[in-house]
Amino acid sequence: MTARVGPAIVVRDLTRRFGTFVAVDRVSFEVEQGEIFGYLGANGAGKSTTIRMLIGLLAPTSGQATVAGHDVATAPGRVKESIGYMSQKFSLYLDLPVEENLLFFGAAYGLEGTALRARAAELLERVGLDAQHEATTGDLPGGQRQRLALACALLHRPGLVFLDEPTAGVDPVARRAFWDLIRELARGGTTVFVTTHYLDEAEYCRRIGLMVDGKLVALDTPAGLKRTWVPDRVLVARGRGLAEAGPRLGGAPGVRAVAPFGAGLHLRVDPERFDAARVAAALREAGAEAVEVEEAAPTLEDVFLAVVDRDAGGAP
Amino acid sequence: MTGAALLRSLRRVGAMAGKETIHVRRDPRTLALALVMPVVMLFLFGYGISTDLDHLPLAFADQDRSEASRALARAFEGSREFEVVAHPMTEGVESLFRTGTAVAALVVPRGYQRDLLLGRKAQVQLMLDGADPVVGNQVLAKADAIARAESQRLAGAAFAGLQPPLQVKVWTRYNPEGRSALYMVPGISAFLLAITAVMLTALAIAGEWERGSMEQLFASPVGRLEIVLGKLLPYLALGLLELLLVVAFGALVFDVPIRGSVALVMLFGLVFLAGMLGQGLFISVVARNQLVATQAGALSAMLPSIILSGMIFPIENMPLPLQAISRLIPARYLVHGLRGILLKGNGLGVLWPDLLAMAIFAVGILALATARFKRRVA
Repeated sequence: MTARVGPAIVVRDLTRRFGTFVAVDRVSFEVEQGEIFGYLGANGAGKSTTIRMLIGLLAPTSGQATVAGHDVATAPGRVKESIGYMSQKFSLYLDLPVEENLLFFGAAYGLEGTALRARAAELLERVGLDAQHEATTGDLPGGQRQRLALACALLHRPGLVFLDEPTAGVDPVARRAFWDLIRELARGGTTVFVTTHYLDEAEYCRRIGLMVDGKLVALDTPAGLKRTWVPDRVLVARGRGLAEAGPRLGGAPGVRAVAPFGAGLHLRVDPERFDAARVAAALREAGAEAVEVEEAAPTLEDVFLAVVDRDAGGAP
Repeated sequence: MTGAALLRSLRRVGAMAGKETIHVRRDPRTLALALVMPVVMLFLFGYGISTDLDHLPLAFADQDRSEASRALARAFEGSREFEVVAHPMTEGVESLFRTGTAVAALVVPRGYQRDLLLGRKAQVQLMLDGADPVVGNQVLAKADAIARAESQRLAGAAFAGLQPPLQVKVWTRYNPEGRSALYMVPGISAFLLAITAVMLTALAIAGEWERGSMEQLFASPVGRLEIVLGKLLPYLALGLLELLLVVAFGALVFDVPIRGSVALVMLFGLVFLAGMLGQGLFISVVARNQLVATQAGALSAMLPSIILSGMIFPIENMPLPLQAISRLIPARYLVHGLRGILLKGNGLGVLWPDLLAMAIFAVGILALATARFKRRVA
């Protein structure tokens, strides 16, 4: 049923318009079998619209998408059978017991009888909820609910799962536990297509696509993105009076970006012109006191800001 | 569709219906709404808000002053329903109404006894306070019942062999004692089924939109028609159970007869419920959230089924435009059908137009709702 050869997802010039608004604009990419593919972007950048087209919920305006070997426009039913989907909003039935949710979604995907019960029990154990199988779903804390939702998406052993912001509103420990599950899933050969707001989570992805205003503006591994998008030296400055001194430095040649970062400053500078010491000196000159400047490894947040900057008209 | 595909489809419908049943079982409010409310309503309408009135103040204007007219007065006084509070002259009646001393006046004209003895039709005049149409109808029905009984007594005793001397013109044939429970039970059935079916479906489906699970369902292989069927079936079963409950309760507590076929009662219930479920589905597709769905459901189910169905207010007495509108209300046909089956023992031969009207409504609204449901993106 699921095409095991070739990429798990092939997207060509996929476009979706709502009236005159172009939510997704000629997006093309491929997702390999077994990879964790992260889909990042601000709210309204077109992430969810893309997912909804890929899972057969929304017809594309133009372009093509093949998911698990099936065309989403002509065979949405096949696509639905072949994939697992965890929607952005938590959507299990809170009034039902944990196990009933699993049994219902299993039956919805065509499982039945003892096979279904065995599969439900297996997944409950895998997501660490076997002790809670009789609990009312609404009584579970957020992290456990998300794990249950993941279990519901995995019942029919899909080779490809779509997770739309699966960790939204979940505490950091529970997020970590959830990502352990996702990585274990990928190790087992399942392809994972995941959107997230949390840039630290995106580091777990093998490759990341970055959406801005409906366009896919960057696509690479996290390390590749950092090399391409943040060739600058990233510095973190601490001290007094930075709030005033920072903006004064902003216009100087070789200073690419200055942004508040906690109580300090986050700077991106041309490595040819600046290093930590010279930035510290420049900040003191601009009126700051007790300045300490350290070099930092670029994060995906830097990448994200650089991408958004460029899109807003700044230089890369 | 091949056999195997159909079987898979039925299994998915079964899964939806099973899940919905668990929702209902786990929600005491839903069960209370569906199973306790009917009993409470039946009691309220049967006893509490009973439109049966006792000891209605009656003015008795006797212009004949004969043995026969006094017998008629005794017949009225002897019943629980009336109490003779005044013996005015005809001119005094108006003021008795105005002050509320009497809600009805019986005027026996001069020559009443003579007419009876001569075997002519004897006419008495009943004057009603029409301010409250419900009371008015009741008075009419009861006065009529008493006059009829008196008429039979006269015909059977001293005046055997004569035409019934007092004329009966109000419909009391199937409810000779004028008991409201008899026509209320069929009426309440329509009202309760409408409420349960429309509200519960509207709530249940709007709930799926609201919590986002509808999107999860749309993303699964469960088809939209399967979702609709699966969600509606449990409420169909619940509605039929409710109908049985009301009919059984009416029979046991209020002695409402079941002269016709119970299977036909269920068939009427089924077709009516299909329409009401369609209405609930339509509301939920349009409303999207439970609050709006509840209000729209309550209004669209309750008001027409109380006001326009003939449950309380006879359709014959409505102004023509309202009578025309009532033809669009399925409850009207259910009330008429159930009264026919339960009280008169009518069969399909008589009641098919009612069934047909409900079926047309059901098919129409279900088609409309399903079409909108299919078009709508999660």
